[in-house]
Amino acid sequence: MLWIMLLAPLVGAVLNGLVLRRAPKWISHLVAVGSMAVAFAAAVAVYLQMMKSGGEPQVYFALNWLDAGAFHAPFQYIVDRLSGLMMLVVTGIGTLIHIYAGGYMHEEEKTYRFFTYLNLFVFMMLQLVMGDNLMVMFVGWEGVGLCSYLLIGYWFHDDNNAAAGMKAFLVNRIGDIGFLFGIFLTYKHFGTVSFSELRELIGAGSLDAVKVGAIGWITLCLFIGATGKSAQLPLYVWLPDAMAGPTPVSALIHAATMVTAGIYMMTRLNFMFYLAPMTMQVVAVIGGLTAFFAATIALVQSDIKKVLAYSTVSQLGYMVMACGVGAFEAGVFHLFTHACFKALMFLGAGSVIVAMHHEQDMFKMGGLRKYMPITHLVFLVGVLAIIGMPPFAGFFSKDEILWKAFIGGGPLLWGLGAVTAGCTSFYMVRLLCLTFYGAHRGGHHDSHAKSHDNSHDHHAHKADHSHGNHVPHETGVDMWGPLVVLALLSASVGFLGVPHVLGGHNLFEEYLKPIILIPESAQEHWEFLEATYSHNLELGLMAASVIVMVIASGTAIALYGRGPASVLTKWKTSFAGAYSTLSNKYYLDEFYFAKIVQPVRDMAEFLWAFVDVKVIDGAVNGVAELCSFMAGSISFKMTGSVHRHAMVLVVGLVCLLSVLVFN
Amino acid sequence: MVPVEFYFILACVMFTLGLFGALFRRNIIMVLMSIELMLNAVNLVFVAAGRSIGNVDGQVMVLFVITVAACEAAVGLAMVIALFRKYGTVNTDILRLLRG
Repeated sequence: MLWIMLLAPLVGAVLNGLVLRRAPKWISHLVAVGSMAVAFAAAVAVYLQMMKSGGEPQVYFALNWLDAGAFHAPFQYIVDRLSGLMMLVVTGIGTLIHIYAGGYMHEEEKTYRFFTYLNLFVFMMLQLVMGDNLMVMFVGWEGVGLCSYLLIGYWFHDDNNAAAGMKAFLVNRIGDIGFLFGIFLTYKHFGTVSFSELRELIGAGSLDAVKVGAIGWITLCLFIGATGKSAQLPLYVWLPDAMAGPTPVSALIHAATMVTAGIYMMTRLNFMFYLAPMTMQVVAVIGGLTAFFAATIALVQSDIKKVLAYSTVSQLGYMVMACGVGAFEAGVFHLFTHACFKALMFLGAGSVIVAMHHEQDMFKMGGLRKYMPITHLVFLVGVLAIIGMPPFAGFFSKDEILWKAFIGGGPLLWGLGAVTAGCTSFYMVRLLCLTFYGAHRGGHHDSHAKSHDNSHDHHAHKADHSHGNHVPHETGVDMWGPLVVLALLSASVGFLGVPHVLGGHNLFEEYLKPIILIPESAQEHWEFLEATYSHNLELGLMAASVIVMVIASGTAIALYGRGPASVLTKWKTSFAGAYSTLSNKYYLDEFYFAKIVQPVRDMAEFLWAFVDVKVIDGAVNGVAELCSFMAGSISFKMTGSVHRHAMVLVVGLVCLLSVLVFN
Repeated sequence: MVPVEFYFILACVMFTLGLFGALFRRNIIMVLMSIELMLNAVNLVFVAAGRSIGNVDGQVMVLFVITVAACEAAVGLAMVIALFRKYGTVNTDILRLLRG
C-alpha cells in the first residue's frame, strides 16, 4: 500500500510527461487526478493500518542507496503519526487541487507539462515527509524545490515569471546549504542520519557536553534550511514573487504543503531542538518577527494573491514561533488547519481571477458576491477560519499557539502574535470587502487591458477567447466542488484540537504526543509553567485575541465595506512614509539587491572581464604568442633549399667526426 | 700491383666530387647522379680494402650497396618524374616548399 501511495504520483508524472504528450487535455487531467486519487486512497489505507496497530511507527525498507563504509542512507520510509498526518494532507489536499487545476487551466493549449510537474511535486513531497533519514528528506527537499521552480516559471515566456522562479530557486539554495551542513554535522557527531536511530541515541540521554554543543549547531543549520523553505525572515522574499505561478500551484506548493516542510522537519527532529535552547530562542524570535512583518506588509498590498502570499508567510511565522517555544504539536496543528483554509482561499482567489479574466488588483474588483455566490460563501468560511473566528479552524490552532507562546516565550512574544492576529483580521476582511462587497469597480475594457501588463498570473489570452460582456461569472463545478470540500474542512477540523479550558480534550495534542520526545528537564519546566498560569488567564488571553480580531475586522469593514473609503486617500498622503515603506515591503528586496546581488554581480563582472579575459586568457594567448614570436624570429633560416639543408648536414657531420677523430 | 693507397686516394677524389656535386648542382638528376658517385667511391674503398687484407666481406657489402643504390635510383627517378609533371621543372632553386 505504501508503495502504491509513493509511486502513483510518479507514475502519473511519467505517463503525462513522457507517454501522453500528444494526448488531449482531458486525458492528462484525468491521469493526474487519477494518480492522485489512487495515492490518497492508498494513504488512507496505510494510515488506518498504522492507527490500527496503535499508531506505532512502522519502517519500510525500499532499497539501498548511499552505502559507504559506516555511512548508510537507504531509501527507507517511516509511517508514524506525524508522517501519516502529512501524507494525508499532501495527497488529500493535493487531489482536490488537482481536480481544481483542470478547470483553472482550461484556457491553456497543452497542460501535460503542468500536470507532470504537479504530480512530480507530490511525489517529491511524499519523499520529504515519508523519508526515514535526513538524506531521503533532503532528496525530497530539493525535489520539491525543483518542482516549485518549474511551476513558478510555468509561463516562462514572460521574463518576470522566469525571474521569479529563479529567485525562488536561488534563495532556497542559501537555506539548503544550511540544511546540508546540518546533515554533515549530524553524521559527524552521531554517526547516523536515520531519524529512528537519532531518536534512540539522543532519547537515551547521557550525551556529553561536546555532543550537546554540536546539537546547538546542527539545529541552527537545519533551521537555516527551514527559513529558506518555509519562507522565514530573512529568506522569505521568494514566496511573494512565487505568486507568478498558476494559482493552483500557489495553493498546493506555496500555501498548503511545500512551505510547511520546515515546520515538519523541526517537529520530526523535536528531540534535538529541545536540547538546543539557544536555537529555540532564535526560532521563536524569527517566527514571531516574520509573522508580524509579513502581516504588516499584507495590510497595504493591492494584488489579491500578494495579500495571500504575505498572509502565508505570516502564518508560517506563527508555526515556526510555536516550534520555537517548544509547542511542536500546536505548530503542526496550525500547519494542518492552515493547509485547509489557505488552500481554500488561494483556490477561491483563483476562481475570482478567472472570473475577472485575470485581473488581480482588488481595487478593480468589488461586488462579486452577486456574480459568484458559491465562491463568496466558501471564501467567507476561509476568511473566518484564518482570522480566528470561533469556532472555525483557525481559532483553535492560532489560540493554541498564542497561549503556548505566552507561557513558553513570555508576554512580549504573545503581544507580537496578538498584534499579528489583529493585522491578519484587518487585511483578510479588507480583501473580502474589496473583492466581494461594495459596488463592482471593474469590467471596463480599457482598464482591463492596461492592468494586464502588471498582472503576474498571466495567461496567454487567445484572440478567439473573446468576452463580449465583462460580467464576472461563477466557475464550473470542477472548480467550486473542491472549494466546498475545503470549506467544510476549514470549518470543522478545528474541533480536533479544542483546548481543555474550553471543555475539549485537545485530541490533536494527544495524538501527536508520542512523536514529541521532550527531555525530562524541559518537561518539568513546561509543567511548572503550565501550573503557574491559571485557566482564567488562558481564557482571558483567548478573549483578548478575539476582541483584537473583532476590532480589526470592524475597522476593515468600516474602511472597505462599501469600497475603499475616501479617508484612505487622505491617510495615504499624511502617512506617506509609512505607507510607502509597507507597500515596498520594507525595501528588503531593494536592500538585498543593493547589498548582495549587486556586489555578487560586480564580483562576477570583475572575474569575467578582468580575471578570465585578461589573466587566464591572457596567459594562454601569451604563451602561444611567445612561441609564435620565437619561431618567427628564426624561421628565416628555413630557406627550403635542399642544398642549404644538405650543407648544414655535412658541416654538422664534419664537426662531429672531427671531434670523434681528433679527440 | 697498384698500392692500395692509390685506390683510397681515387675514392676520396670521387667522393669529394660527388659531395660537391650533390651540394651545388641545381638539377635534381645531377644531384642523384652525384649521390651515386659517392656510393661508388665507398664501394671502391670496400673492395680495395677487402682485397688488400684478403677478406671477402668488403665484396659482399658492395653487392648490398649496389642493390640498395639501384632501388634508390629507381625511387629517386620516379620522384623526379612526378615532380616534373607537377611543377614543370627539376630545378631545386624553384622547388622550395619547405621555406619557413
